Amino acid sequence: MSDASCPSRALMRPAATVLENREVARDTFRLRLGDPEIARRILPGQFVMVRGAAEGTDDPLLGRPFALYEVQRDESGEPVSFDVVYLVIGRGTAALSRRKPGDRVAVWGPLGNGFGPSPGSGSALFIAGGIGQTPFLALGRDWLGRASYGDRPKPESETPVDSATLLYGVRSAGLLAGVEDFERAGIGVEIATDDGSAGRLGFVTQLLADRIQAGERPAKVVACGPPPMLAAVARLAQAHDIPCDVSLENHMACGFGACFSCVTPILQDDGRPDLRRVCVEGPVFPAHRVDWSRPSH
Amino acid sequence: MPWRRRPEKAMMGARRGRRAPPSVPPDRSGWIVERSLRAVVDLRVKLGRLSLKNPVLTASGTFGYVREMAGFVRLERLGGVVPKTVTHRPRAGNPTPRTVETRAGLLNAIGLDNDGIDHFREHHLPYLRTTGTAVIANIAGEDEDQFVAMAASLGDEPGLAAVELNVSCPNVSHGLDLGIDAAAVGRLVRRVREACPLPVIAKLTPNVTDVVAIAAAAAEAGADAVSLINTVRGMAVDWRRRRPILANDVGGLSGPAIKPIALRIVWDVARALPTLPIIAVGGIADADDALEFLVAGASAVQVGTASFYNPAAAEDVLDGIARALDETGVAAVADFIGTARSNRE
Repeated sequence: MSDASCPSRALMRPAATVLENREVARDTFRLRLGDPEIARRILPGQFVMVRGAAEGTDDPLLGRPFALYEVQRDESGEPVSFDVVYLVIGRGTAALSRRKPGDRVAVWGPLGNGFGPSPGSGSALFIAGGIGQTPFLALGRDWLGRASYGDRPKPESETPVDSATLLYGVRSAGLLAGVEDFERAGIGVEIATDDGSAGRLGFVTQLLADRIQAGERPAKVVACGPPPMLAAVARLAQAHDIPCDVSLENHMACGFGACFSCVTPILQDDGRPDLRRVCVEGPVFPAHRVDWSRPSH
Repeated sequence: MPWRRRPEKAMMGARRGRRAPPSVPPDRSGWIVERSLRAVVDLRVKLGRLSLKNPVLTASGTFGYVREMAGFVRLERLGGVVPKTVTHRPRAGNPTPRTVETRAGLLNAIGLDNDGIDHFREHHLPYLRTTGTAVIANIAGEDEDQFVAMAASLGDEPGLAAVELNVSCPNVSHGLDLGIDAAAVGRLVRRVREACPLPVIAKLTPNVTDVVAIAAAAAEAGADAVSLINTVRGMAVDWRRRRPILANDVGGLSGPAIKPIALRIVWDVARALPTLPIIAVGGIADADDALEFLVAGASAVQVGTASFYNPAAAEDVLDGIARALDETGVAAVADFIGTARSNRE
């Protein structure tokens, strides 16, 4: 572990207004929070912690981490709100799904490191499994040069990618969330389902393997999803010398480095693994730095 | 000028019930100015040799190494901070999952993940000295000798206000079990006092039959204060997988769920040992929680798990205490401590 970073730009909002909280796919909700300052600061790949508890109640107790999905702006281009998209999987997300427009929830962020600048000309491939698609809408728009995020100007030298494609795997078609959002943003979408109810039957990693097999060499592969999927993507990318980042989804209690719940072994310069906090040193890591031989939660 | 009255006097109850004047004291350290400077409350507290500008501290293991919190909390406003437990040598801690949420609570089995005392001294202490608040180092040894050696080495360091002995972490075996043995706690406190010039606080476990006996041993040995309580042993099970959820199987429960347990223990110890200063810790999330502990006999409070879901919680508690005491007509928090009376007397 270390304290290489800490969330110095994060804000605590004890009562952010829920503007919208709408089911967009099976058990999947899109939550819009009216906090212009977090919206102004947050970058693709960063996340916020949101408490599902009704205002002033102690249960569920903790926040849950959600990646930035998209930022909304007013006519003058000023950020006014932001969205996260979440899957109801436990008591925290179930409580959050019951919050209505006008309710207030605690939110803190932006947290984590984010994806960083565009890899330059060439294509970007995003590999998502389960609810792992959520960070890639803002990232695609950012890297395609169609939107900018955060309150610091982009370096003039940053070249947009020529294309961005989302390879999106879910168990079943009903869980596909926001495919049209990606297409509208100019991000190609290719789908795989475990049951064949949409797109290709099978794992999303097969879509990636096929593209690489056909000679495609993206400027960068970025993946978010279950650890076995991430490990498979990392193996494929490494075998073909394709730069690859992964966004980890480890279990967190605080999101800002205080609790040491989300640690995962990260390979250091000497090749040895050291436990690092995903919330402050990640959630985005170069795939070759992650120790895929060990389980992580 | 009224605000120049000596605080020592205030702490002895001389100003009980009187309202402070509507002015700003020239030196605001130790005073909280509330509601457009309309009134002030003296928040200073003294625990043995340890003087704090107010009774609000943060609990070890819930505030990282403090720098993680600097963006959320104006550290210099707090009575003090307690960084994560430091051990003699680096410890990797337990495998994950290390935490799981339960009803109004949090179970953890982090396992004292830390880089050891040398790293603490070289890397964290220089930052901690700049925070403008009292820094209380929390240490855990594998045995008595290690505790004493660590305390002795920190005793030479400038910028520390006290050491808190973690004789109560439920998530590591060997050594820390000494916290369930009154004689062993007494012996340890006595040796640490001899080896280290800093005020000594013993953080005790609730996972014993009689905390009072252990607190009495600490008091007898010269502890400046006791912190009550560390986490309550517990577990969570996933019946579908037929497995405990924590990688360590069992852990320590914290959060609002344990507040009544902590309150009862603080109450018992305060009544049995009225001269032993108590730092209350266990489920304190807002000012009402803190005031309940203060009136039950604690001289200070530590905000713990609440910082995980409200990283500004410690400052909120501080503001809330000042506001509530002002509204209640209490001029000095020292006059308020331990003033709850039993219904059975």
